[in-house]
Amino acid sequence: MAEPISIVRLTKTYPGSTVPALRSVSLDVAPGTFLVLLGPSGSGKTTMLRCLAGIERIDSGLIAIGGQAVADGRAHVAPDQRDLSMVFQDYALWPHMTALDNVAFALRRRRLPRAECRARAAAMLERVGLGEFARRYPNELSGGQQQRVALARALIADTGLILCDEPLSNLDADLRERMRVEISSLVREAGATTVYITHDQAEAFALADVVGVLEEGVLVQSGTPEDVYNHPATPFVARFTGLAGELRVRVAAYGSDGTLEITAPAGTAGTLPALRPATRDGAAPVTLRPGDEAVLAIRPTGVRLASLTDGSPHLTGRVADVAFRGRGYEYAIDLPGLGRLAGVFARHRAARGDEVGVRLEPDGCHLFPADDSGTSAVKEYASA
Amino acid sequence: MPLFWLILCAVILFPCACFLLLAVSPRLFDQGSQWFTLTYLHQALTGATAVAVVNSLWVSTAAALMGVLIGFPIAWLAARTTMPGRRFVSAGMWLALLLPSWLPALGWERLVQPDGVMYRMGLDWPWVTHLIMGPFGVVLLLGLRCVPFSYLAITAALTGLGQEFEDAARTHGASRLQALRLIVPILAPAIMSALAIGFAESISDFGVAATLAYNSNFSLATYALYAAIGNFPPSFPLAAGMSWLLVAAVAIPLALQARALRGRSYQILSGRTRQAVRRRLSRTEAILASTGVALFFVVMLGVPGFGAVSGSLLGDFGGSFTLTLANYRALFQEPGLLGPLERSLVYGMITATVTVTLGFIAARMLSRRRTAATGAMDFLLLASVALPGVVFGAGYIFAYNLPIMSTLGINLYQTVQLLVIAYIASSLPTNARVLVGSVSQLQESLKDAARAHGAGALMAWARGVLPVVSRPIMLALLYTFCGVFLELPLSQLLYAPGSPPASIAIEDNLSNYHFGVGMAQAVLAVFIAFAAVAIVLGGYSLLAPAGWRRIGRTVRG
Repeated sequence: MAEPISIVRLTKTYPGSTVPALRSVSLDVAPGTFLVLLGPSGSGKTTMLRCLAGIERIDSGLIAIGGQAVADGRAHVAPDQRDLSMVFQDYALWPHMTALDNVAFALRRRRLPRAECRARAAAMLERVGLGEFARRYPNELSGGQQQRVALARALIADTGLILCDEPLSNLDADLRERMRVEISSLVREAGATTVYITHDQAEAFALADVVGVLEEGVLVQSGTPEDVYNHPATPFVARFTGLAGELRVRVAAYGSDGTLEITAPAGTAGTLPALRPATRDGAAPVTLRPGDEAVLAIRPTGVRLASLTDGSPHLTGRVADVAFRGRGYEYAIDLPGLGRLAGVFARHRAARGDEVGVRLEPDGCHLFPADDSGTSAVKEYASA
Repeated sequence: MPLFWLILCAVILFPCACFLLLAVSPRLFDQGSQWFTLTYLHQALTGATAVAVVNSLWVSTAAALMGVLIGFPIAWLAARTTMPGRRFVSAGMWLALLLPSWLPALGWERLVQPDGVMYRMGLDWPWVTHLIMGPFGVVLLLGLRCVPFSYLAITAALTGLGQEFEDAARTHGASRLQALRLIVPILAPAIMSALAIGFAESISDFGVAATLAYNSNFSLATYALYAAIGNFPPSFPLAAGMSWLLVAAVAIPLALQARALRGRSYQILSGRTRQAVRRRLSRTEAILASTGVALFFVVMLGVPGFGAVSGSLLGDFGGSFTLTLANYRALFQEPGLLGPLERSLVYGMITATVTVTLGFIAARMLSRRRTAATGAMDFLLLASVALPGVVFGAGYIFAYNLPIMSTLGINLYQTVQLLVIAYIASSLPTNARVLVGSVSQLQESLKDAARAHGAGALMAWARGVLPVVSRPIMLALLYTFCGVFLELPLSQLLYAPGSPPASIAIEDNLSNYHFGVGMAQAVLAVFIAFAAVAIVLGGYSLLAPAGWRRIGRTVRG
């Protein structure tokens, strides 16, 4: 049965470190939810997963699984007592056991007869498409097959919680996509609550019911993939979930309907559209006043090439690079005095060095106070 | 962790540090009037001890060079050619490594000494006696002992040296010989390692020094140190002064080698490395190569083996080459002749079990996150590897005979317990160093995965982790057992009166002219050691689960 998870003010600092790996993280996960924790290296996502598994002890706070507290800073329930299963980044298949034995190991806790354990393990291996490889040892399997064994081991014991530690990061792009679909369908079939960590935003959005974004040990936003993408709470979330670029701008005046009129730095060509300020967790808008410096975070979907002659472009720039992507072209555009936008899509081809117009779409542009960004220079981002 | 440090301090740091300190501050231990003096270091560099030190230096240099000159071609032939019988070379080298140096030395001695096997066979060749019973023989024996070390170091490097380097040379116009000349410098780290290890092993060797060299009146430093304690009146400060020289002679080349390797990049292993192609030898080349390698093993193992076995089948004095089993009968019939072997068997098993357990714990600590404590432990264990056995033994005699020990109620001097503790302490550094390689390759996630899937802490270790390192643990057990079963320097210095271990009993019999019985004991001891290896390896092959057995075999290379 799927288990709910409750995490309250979870804090963890590793011995010998002065910087907490997790800082007062709170999160509730409904039973059966597929939660993806997204963040860069060092953001604390692996620590959080290991705390959930019981491999790491927490310093303070509370973790409850299925309504039972398993860690509260003093008490610590051992991993084997938490009735969960886990897919490890390096798969952690025991090299001295066959694929069948690896999978059957996870059934030990169910105290079933040995023959039944093996029969169930064989059936599970069939289910993940490895029936004929049951007698092979891990090093006789390909990366994808090892991954499936690890997945089978996590699924077989029918635990209420499955943890996945970047399970696709060691696979090549094609296999990663196929395995992502398999994980998504098999785990949902099992009906368990799943906590999955990754640093790949495309993987996160494709898999998750709920995405939690971690930055330096702090959970900075959680919500549905659509919420997180359409309403990033901070410039960090916006960057980490894919930007074409950022522009340094200034708020000129209050516009109509809660919008703000913004201007590019003096000396740059073009007029920017009126925009709404970004909102915190989809609720209150950030505070920006006329005269404030701001950062304009632009999604790849928030920018397109526009003709110079029909009067619609907001900015003008020059094509720095062009890449054919099958359904069209992706451009890197240098904007004089502003920086570079990357991943700008258009169906038609323009040559490197051509002068082009750029049009911004308000729905794909997010306006933050400049001091939120933590940077003073315009940054360039390749779209994801 | 604190308990482990306490053990390390008690069995390694305290005895060795006390003894080395004694050389410069005898008053600290009531062994003289000076708080600080360099007199004993100076004494160690003058007179007879200076001769012994100089002898040791040049003999060890020659032996190390000989080791590389023989070990390199054998390694190349076994790793890179289709030489017939190449599969047996590694086994032969390990066999040679398991034998302590004093056993082949005794075999050679019994073969060539006046009234020895050679003369009994009617071969009246005094020039051979003079050749072997002198510096040449000492260099020959120590040099042969260096060959397995060179072979293993160079084979490891050759395994990682892909075919692409040779291919690149050949496609750019180099002949086969020129390509070889290009590759040899790439193997420089392995050659330097082989030289350094060979030198260190030779200069710290006690087995040849106390047998062949001593009986040939050719003084070596390790025996001179032993004599400084063993002769009357004993001079511990002088022995300590000599220890400094020995430790420096061992540590300096090892440190220089480590430093040289740190400063240069010889990265030859990569994911793109292609498996090297074996060179197909012509019929003549194959015969020559196999004969050459076989000749090495004959000289290394065959000749001393023949000397020992035939010596054990002959009477003690005079007579013709008439073989008899009388010495073996005596072994089983006369009281007190088998006892030392049984004793060493028990010592070996206890030491191997305790040492490998402690070695595994140390290796686990060293392979985890680096802290100041683990850094210090790493240094202590590494430095201890460079301590010759005879220095270790002298340190034990001195430290555990200090009055403060009695005051503390620790009365271990001249007891079996102290000998076993010394065995453990001297084997621990090597064990930890050997095991740290395997242990550091263990993925932490293997244990975590077992825990996450329902195994308790002990079960996670027993089923998820230990099987993965079962082979290196078993090999470490065997290596330690064989080393202790036939150990000489510590036994010589520390055995409890009335309870001599095997090596001492054999030495005693030989020095009391009971050549036949002594040799029979030696042959039986080697038989027991090899039988133990065969039983354990065979048992592992037959009884260990298939998955355990295949792990060692599946390591690339």
